[in-house]
Amino acid sequence: MKYSRFLTQVSRNRQPSLIREMTNLLAQASPELVFMAGGLPNAQMFPFQAGSITLKDGRALTIHPKLMMDCLQYGPTPGYPPLVKQLKDLTQQLHSPPRWAEMDLIVTAGSQDGLCKALEMMISPGDYVVTQEPCYTGTLSILKPYKPRYLPISGDQNGMCPEALKAALSKWKPEEVQDTEKDVPKVLYVNPNACNPTGVSLPEDRRQEIYKIASEYNLIILEDDPYYFVQFGDRKDFPPSFLSMDVDCRVIRFDSFSKILSSGLRIGYVTGPKPLVERIVLHAQVSLLHAPAMSQVLVSELLKLWGDEGFFKHTDAVQAFYLDQRNAMLEAAEKHLSDLCEWAVPTGGMFLWLKVPKIHDTWDMILERALTKNVILVPGKAFMCDSSKPCQYMRAAFSIVSPENMDKGCKNLAELIS
Amino acid sequence: MDYSKFISKLSSRRKPSCISELRRALDNCSPSLVWLASGMPNPEKFPFREMTVTLEGGKKLTLSKETLSAGLQYGPSHGYLPFRNQLKRMVEQWHAPPRWAESDLIVTVGNQDGISKALDMLLDPEDFIVVPDPCYSDFLCMLSSLAPQIVAVSVDDQGMRPDILQSALEKAISSGSTGIPKALYLVPNSCNPTGTNMGEERRQEIYAIAQQYDLIILEDDPYCFLQFNDKYLPSFLSMDVDGRVLRFDSFSKVVSSGLRIGFVTGPPPLLQGITLHMQASCICPPMLSQVLIHELLTSWGDEGFKKHISDICQFYKEQRDAMIQALKTHLTGICEWIVPEGGIFVWLKVLHLSDTSAMLLERGAKGDIVLVPGREFMVDSTKPSPYMRAAYSCVTPEEMMKGMENLAKLIQKEIELQSTHT
Repeated sequence: MKYSRFLTQVSRNRQPSLIREMTNLLAQASPELVFMAGGLPNAQMFPFQAGSITLKDGRALTIHPKLMMDCLQYGPTPGYPPLVKQLKDLTQQLHSPPRWAEMDLIVTAGSQDGLCKALEMMISPGDYVVTQEPCYTGTLSILKPYKPRYLPISGDQNGMCPEALKAALSKWKPEEVQDTEKDVPKVLYVNPNACNPTGVSLPEDRRQEIYKIASEYNLIILEDDPYYFVQFGDRKDFPPSFLSMDVDCRVIRFDSFSKILSSGLRIGYVTGPKPLVERIVLHAQVSLLHAPAMSQVLVSELLKLWGDEGFFKHTDAVQAFYLDQRNAMLEAAEKHLSDLCEWAVPTGGMFLWLKVPKIHDTWDMILERALTKNVILVPGKAFMCDSSKPCQYMRAAFSIVSPENMDKGCKNLAELIS
Repeated sequence: MDYSKFISKLSSRRKPSCISELRRALDNCSPSLVWLASGMPNPEKFPFREMTVTLEGGKKLTLSKETLSAGLQYGPSHGYLPFRNQLKRMVEQWHAPPRWAESDLIVTVGNQDGISKALDMLLDPEDFIVVPDPCYSDFLCMLSSLAPQIVAVSVDDQGMRPDILQSALEKAISSGSTGIPKALYLVPNSCNPTGTNMGEERRQEIYAIAQQYDLIILEDDPYCFLQFNDKYLPSFLSMDVDGRVLRFDSFSKVVSSGLRIGFVTGPPPLLQGITLHMQASCICPPMLSQVLIHELLTSWGDEGFKKHISDICQFYKEQRDAMIQALKTHLTGICEWIVPEGGIFVWLKVLHLSDTSAMLLERGAKGDIVLVPGREFMVDSTKPSPYMRAAYSCVTPEEMMKGMENLAKLIQKEIELQSTHT
């Protein structure tokens, strides 16, 4: 695939920093080499010497002095090497990308920073963006300043509809736009599992159809998958990722530890074609330099301690928790809202997407009156590409709220709607 | 000041997320409010329960349950509140900014990310940005991708020359471009790569010129605590009567580079653009890093912080002294240099070579010495440069001696090589 077609001028302009390149000389140098090229501060002057983290299962992660130096000193932009290896192994294990040898991986400060840099790499003001609608607000925030021409693709209880995607792209002939750079869609954004905000997942056959269409029109697929491990059901039944079917090498996949290990540590990772990941690495090189080192070391040590078995045991427990939360939420919704709202059962994650058929637009109801009824949720308009159009939907999160409060919340919501 | 003229077209279109607007509702809500709005993951499922760190000297810091909790969950885009408040107290104490009441402070993922986002916020491609020449290479890297108009200003032993700055700005304004000179970037203390400090009078001259041409001053100051003579020159922030300074501070040389924590102080309308970009990208600066530094600074208090700074200055001063000794021993008559009063760099000029790049990049490793060629720091990297940057932060005095001996041999060989070619 020719990747330069997808890059903005700013991204094409990016060059590696010579000083970081020179650090590579250290790898092949003789032990006699006196290296005075890097501008590293002396890590012996950093005041933290060692550390210890106790886990909830009682075990401890020890940060001995040498490991503490890895936590505190500048590191390579793609990520802390042991963690990069672990994540590559995990990705290969879970997805077996068909063109793995042509792909690369970078650890990012949260998966959204990876997504932001990927979009900034490809989108110029006014460009087309093909996206599921409703769409995650974070993605809309990234794109807003570019005033993109959205091609919003509607969905149902099984996610994005391939027919709608085909229809949206039908004004172009695939063979005419394959290599065109300007004025054609080049990017498709999708949240395939437990989508934010709809809570639904794309089944396998739809993914294959969507991939085929993306291939015909030569689109890069941005597979944003932070709820991968919070899908309900057996892991062996998870539908295959876009990455796992990526025979063209057109998928950039965004993974996150925010829902399963910690959101505050700011650790996510991006997997994609080498030429595109390289552009993201170059951007990171001149901005944040790398994802926070201590966070990376902690995640790496934790994964090492747990091994595969421990890791999946943990993700299964997280999934079971959110399933209980979902069931409690559905119970509360059925009790109070069955005459007033419609919804699809979430297949993972933490969101319930409620439709209020009797109301034209939930925005004013929530922003002006919800507080008086002691319940707040997010009006659906926030997730729409065109925020001038009315929206009958609302998003409720059931991650943190207790079953008692879910009941109260739905009761209050029923009053608000009435 | 009218800040809207400084904001790039792209940045002016950034908006806060709807969810952050909703969060404002929390400020005055009743305790029976059921909050179903934010997509925060449940922290009960995070596997970490307790954290203790041991400081130099053996003292142990244990994070309380609440503090560790804060360290593991999403936080505000502009920084963990107790940490921000702590930093604000410190900034007020050190700089007494004349417009402190109209200033704000945000935490960033390292100060370089703050600078990168400031440039994204300020520059449209037709705009001008003023830089010293030579300039910090990563900053030039940022500019090479954004490709704005660059106004390069030569330096002397105090940094940017005001006379050259003035004439360069005049030239830019009369160039007929649709863009305007928007910002001026400098590293006033222990400048990377030259190691020089800008004197107080010079700072006032530069500030006056910035006023005259209505520029934002990007004060990049990661080495402010690494000054060897206990002489702290007044920052641009401390003389900022107009509200035109964005000051970038860093913990990377003092507490940790890997934790990725820096902070930016300046006028809220300019910080807003950076914060909104942070909200869309990394969502918030790393919480655990912020929590740890906050706990550390709390445990130290002002006295402990001063002592730590004094200790690291002592260390880097000794490193500098050893470096100068090595230079005098092996490079007298071969190179020229200015003795740095702080920081970690020495800027060397080779007396009988016009360019150091090929020597260092192609033959340096074999000669067992690697420094950064001066060309890397020049705005026009096609022109030859006889300079080199040496960092003395991480090498031992013995290595410095050996390194400078190797360098002398390398230069000698290079001079011979050049003469056989002419």
